[in-house]
Amino acid sequence: MIRKLRFPGLKELLLPLRPDAGSEDIASMRARALFKPPEGAASKQARNLVEFLRQVVLFETLDRHELAQVARVVHEREYADGEYVCEEGKPAAALFVVQRGVVEVVRRGAAAKEVSLALLEPPASFEESAAVAAGVTRWFSVRARGPAVLLALGKSDLDALCAHFPVLANKILRTLTGIMALRFQILIDAEIVRESEEHDGGRP
Amino acid sequence: MTPAGSARPTAFALRLVAAAVIVALAAIMTWSLRGLIMPVFAGGVLAYICRPFLVRLERWRIPRGAAIGLLLLLIGGATLSAFNGVRAAIPNEAAILELRVHAVSALNQRYRALMGLDASWGRGNDLYRWTRRDLDPLMDRVSDALSLTPDERAPFVTLAEGPTDEAASRANRLLDGDRANARAREMRARRRGLAGPATESVDETVTGRPAAFTGRNEPPTIGGALSPWLVAPLIFLFLLWDPGTLRRGLLRAIPNRLFEPALAVMEDVDEAVGNYVRGIFLECAGLGLTVVVFFAIVGVPLRWAVVIGLFTGATNVVPYMGFAAALMGGLTYALLAEDFHPVIPIVTAETFALWVVGAVALAEILKNVIYEPIILGRTVRLHPIAVVTGVAGGAILFGPAGMLLAIPTITIVRVLIASSARHLKAYGLV
Repeated sequence: MIRKLRFPGLKELLLPLRPDAGSEDIASMRARALFKPPEGAASKQARNLVEFLRQVVLFETLDRHELAQVARVVHEREYADGEYVCEEGKPAAALFVVQRGVVEVVRRGAAAKEVSLALLEPPASFEESAAVAAGVTRWFSVRARGPAVLLALGKSDLDALCAHFPVLANKILRTLTGIMALRFQILIDAEIVRESEEHDGGRP
Repeated sequence: MTPAGSARPTAFALRLVAAAVIVALAAIMTWSLRGLIMPVFAGGVLAYICRPFLVRLERWRIPRGAAIGLLLLLIGGATLSAFNGVRAAIPNEAAILELRVHAVSALNQRYRALMGLDASWGRGNDLYRWTRRDLDPLMDRVSDALSLTPDERAPFVTLAEGPTDEAASRANRLLDGDRANARAREMRARRRGLAGPATESVDETVTGRPAAFTGRNEPPTIGGALSPWLVAPLIFLFLLWDPGTLRRGLLRAIPNRLFEPALAVMEDVDEAVGNYVRGIFLECAGLGLTVVVFFAIVGVPLRWAVVIGLFTGATNVVPYMGFAAALMGGLTYALLAEDFHPVIPIVTAETFALWVVGAVALAEILKNVIYEPIILGRTVRLHPIAVVTGVAGGAILFGPAGMLLAIPTITIVRVLIASSARHLKAYGLV
C-alpha cells in the first residue's frame, strides 16, 4: 500500500496565508517550504542508522530490510562549525540528510553577500535532484552551524540500488517525485500569493 | 620576505617530500607483496563475478549469510563436478605413453612430408635445405622430450613377450613406433654427421634426457606453493561479505571538500572496471567461440576444437596470448593428430596445418576488427604501444601476474587521472 506523503505544518505555513504578511515573511516561508523537515521528527532520537533512516521522509515507505540496504550505501560525514557541506555553483553528486546538528542553507545575494534561507535539523534532506539527475548545479550553499553529522547518498549509490533492488528504488523514486512535486506546488502557490499581494499593495 | 611568505615554500616542499615518501613506500610494499597479487586478484575477480548472483538472492529476501552459504555450495558442487570431468578425461598412464609415441611418430611423418625427405632422410626439398640447420635440432629436442625412457618401456616389453592377445599386440605396436621414432632421430643425427645419441643402439637412444628435464620434477615445498593462495578464498569471502564497508571506509578518509569529487571519480572508475570486466569476458567468449567454429569447419574434431577454444578464450585476458594459444593449440593438433573431418572438402592432410593457421588468423582479424571495437568500445581501448609496453613491463616486474593485470591497471589509472582532473576542475579545486 502506498502511504500518503506527510509534510506536517506546510499547509498551515503556506496555503492559508495571512493577508498582512510582508514580503520578508513570504521569502522565509518559501525557504521553509523548500527545506522544512516534518515536524516532530527532529525530537526523536535515532537509535541506529536504520531507525534514523526510517524517520527520513524520503525513506518512509521502505520496510526494515530495504532500510538496511540503504544503510549500507549511505556515507556518514562529520562537519565542523562553519564548514561547507556543499557550495553554490558546484556540481551536485549527492543528496544529504541531516543526522545530527544544524545546517544553514545560504545563497549569495546581489553583492555576493550570503543570505540565509533556512536552518535544517534532523532528519531534513536537501538536494534530492542530485541523486536522480546528472549535471545538476547547486543554486545554494549549505554550511554547518556547530558540529553536524550528515548522511550522503551519492548518485552512483542510488544507481546501484536501482540496478540491484528495483522495488526499493521504485519506492524511493516515487517518494522523491512526490516531494519534488509538492515543493513545486508550494513554490507556485507562494509565487501566486506574492503576485497578488504586490497587486493589492499597489492599489491606492 | 615575510614569515608567512617563507613558510609557504617550506610547507610545499614538506608536502612534496611526504608525497614522495608515500609513493616510495607504496612501491616497496607492492614489490614486497608481489606474491600476493595473483591470489588477491583471483579472489577479487571471483567475488566481483559472484556479487550479482548474491544480490539477486538478497533481492529474494534471503539473508546475506545464507546467500553466501548457498553460493559456496554451488561453487563447491561445480568445482567438484569439473574436477571429476577433467579427471575422467585425463588418459591413464599407458594411454599417455602411447600418445607420446604416436605424437613423435606423427610429427616425424609430417616433417618428412613437408620437407620432401626420402626414406634415408638424406635428401630433401629446398625448404629442407634452407631450414634444416634450425629445424633438425628442434625436432631432436621434441623427440627427446617425448620418447620413452627404459623404465617406461619395460612394462610394454614384458607385455609384448606375453601370450598373444590384444594387450601384447598393443604393446608391440607401441614398441615398434618407439623404435621407428628412435631410428628417425638417428637418421637426422647421421645426416648432420653427429655422434652422440644417434650412434647409440635404438634401445639406448632415448635413455638419456637433457639436464633441463631432470630438474623439472623437483617438487616445490608445499608451504611455499600454497601459502599465498590461501589468501584468495579469504579475499573472496571478505569481499562477498562486505556490505560496502570498504568503499565507505575509503571515502571516509577523504576530506569533506573532496567528498563529492571523490564520489564522482569513484563512479567513473566503477564504470570503467565494470566495462573492462564485461568487455574482456565477452571478447574472450567471442574469440573462443570463433576459434571453435573455425576449427570445426577446417576439420578439428569438435571435442578438441572446444578444448582449444576454451584455452584460447581463457588466455586472451592477456593481450595477444589468445592468438598465440589458438595458434599453438591448433598447430599442435594439426601436426600430431591424424583424425580430422573437414566441412570444406578442399582441406587435405597436407594442407590441414595451413588451414588451421588461416582459421586462427581469421579469428584474430575478427577479434580486432569487430569484437574489440563493438564490445570494448572506446573507454577501454588503448594504443597498441601502451598495450605492448604495459604487458612487457608488467611481465618484467611481476611475471605472469604483471602480464595479466597490466591492461586493467593502465585502464584504471587512465580513468582515475582523467576523471580526477575533470571533477577537481568542475569543483574549482584546481
